Amino acid sequence: MSVLALSDIHRSFEPGVPVLDGVDLNVDAGEVVGLLGRNGAGKTTLVHIAMGMLHQQRGTVEVFGLDPHRQPVEVKKRIGFVSENQILPAFLKVRDVVELHRHLFSSWDEEMAATLAHRFGLRPGARIKTLSKGQARQVALLCALCHRPELLLLDEPAGGLDALARREFLETSIQALSDTGTTIVFSSHYLSDVERLADRVVMLHDSKVLIDNSIDELHESFSIALVPHRPQGTSDALLALPECLGVRVRSDAVHAVFSLHPDDACALITQKLGVTDAMCRTAGLEEMFIEIAGGER
Amino acid sequence: MLIVVDPSSGVPVFRQVMDQVRFHIASGLLKAGDELPPTRTLSAELGVNPMTISKAYNLLERDGVLERRPGRPLVVAALASEELELERLEQLRSHLSGAVRAAQQLNFKPGEAVKVFRQMLEINKED
Repeated sequence: MSVLALSDIHRSFEPGVPVLDGVDLNVDAGEVVGLLGRNGAGKTTLVHIAMGMLHQQRGTVEVFGLDPHRQPVEVKKRIGFVSENQILPAFLKVRDVVELHRHLFSSWDEEMAATLAHRFGLRPGARIKTLSKGQARQVALLCALCHRPELLLLDEPAGGLDALARREFLETSIQALSDTGTTIVFSSHYLSDVERLADRVVMLHDSKVLIDNSIDELHESFSIALVPHRPQGTSDALLALPECLGVRVRSDAVHAVFSLHPDDACALITQKLGVTDAMCRTAGLEEMFIEIAGGER
Repeated sequence: MLIVVDPSSGVPVFRQVMDQVRFHIASGLLKAGDELPPTRTLSAELGVNPMTISKAYNLLERDGVLERRPGRPLVVAALASEELELERLEQLRSHLSGAVRAAQQLNFKPGEAVKVFRQMLEINKED
């Protein structure tokens, strides 16, 4: 069942400078999608469009089969949302913020709210403005989870949190996932968090979707090739290969990312470039991200 | 259970879990009939997606390493002693493959490399 269907989304904030330029994203129920991209790659814009907080200039958005602009209440009732820049009313107490959400959502789970408040060590009488960044984010997560949403949209939820607070945030999301099979779409610059939580990775680059693969595919069927600089034009020859996602020229070698198993990438380089001493290997997400984001295409 | 994962190692997390379960069986730490932690417990402890753990468990079950009976926890299957022996050998092979590659790149003759391996085994035994 499709939970989120974004099709051919275009959006720019300045004429001629697209932030999203024909983006497609389909998310099925129960999937956990990690959204990657550099700062300014359009992750937040995409999440805001899915939430109905922002209009796309072209393309269609469906959430649970509904249009978030035409039926904002029906859609938002079924979504939990946490973002790095979320602003909670500073003068309210934790208790008041939770109370507000409890009244807004008929599906509010009292028991879960009590469990999470206890787990996070949140004092009901504390004013929001006195909370640390981590505690404020925990209040936001509690409010996002306790109405048992079918879709959780997390926009850089771990931004600015220390390692332990991040891990707790992650564990709480994982619990929600195993309890109710919530669909999760989250953006994060912490790539090891993405590797822990996501089963699918979507990378936005140059306003488009550059990668949309399962995390296991990325680990096993993608590779980084180190090709020694010899014949001039190595990087152009690599870029001409359709399986090459990007190259980065370093002092001693050209680094190229391939959507191929390392053995196949090496075979292709030998066949097309006549280079026999390329080294190809699989890599973690962080290395792959740096090679792609820092390279050219 | 002694399972740790390093999500940024480049090896898929489900494979890391599978490898370690197999290793613990080959080393005798896990014996036939021993229970494995439920998917949600292990996923919460490791801080990884529960689907990843169930994928690892399902593949181990398919390989006959684990056994699932309705309504019971997942347990280590009873392997024949020759199967266990093969598994031990396979584990050692896979751990040595990196050392073999390094020995070749450093131009060690097989005899020299084996000597180093033997020396290191002896030193470890004295500890």
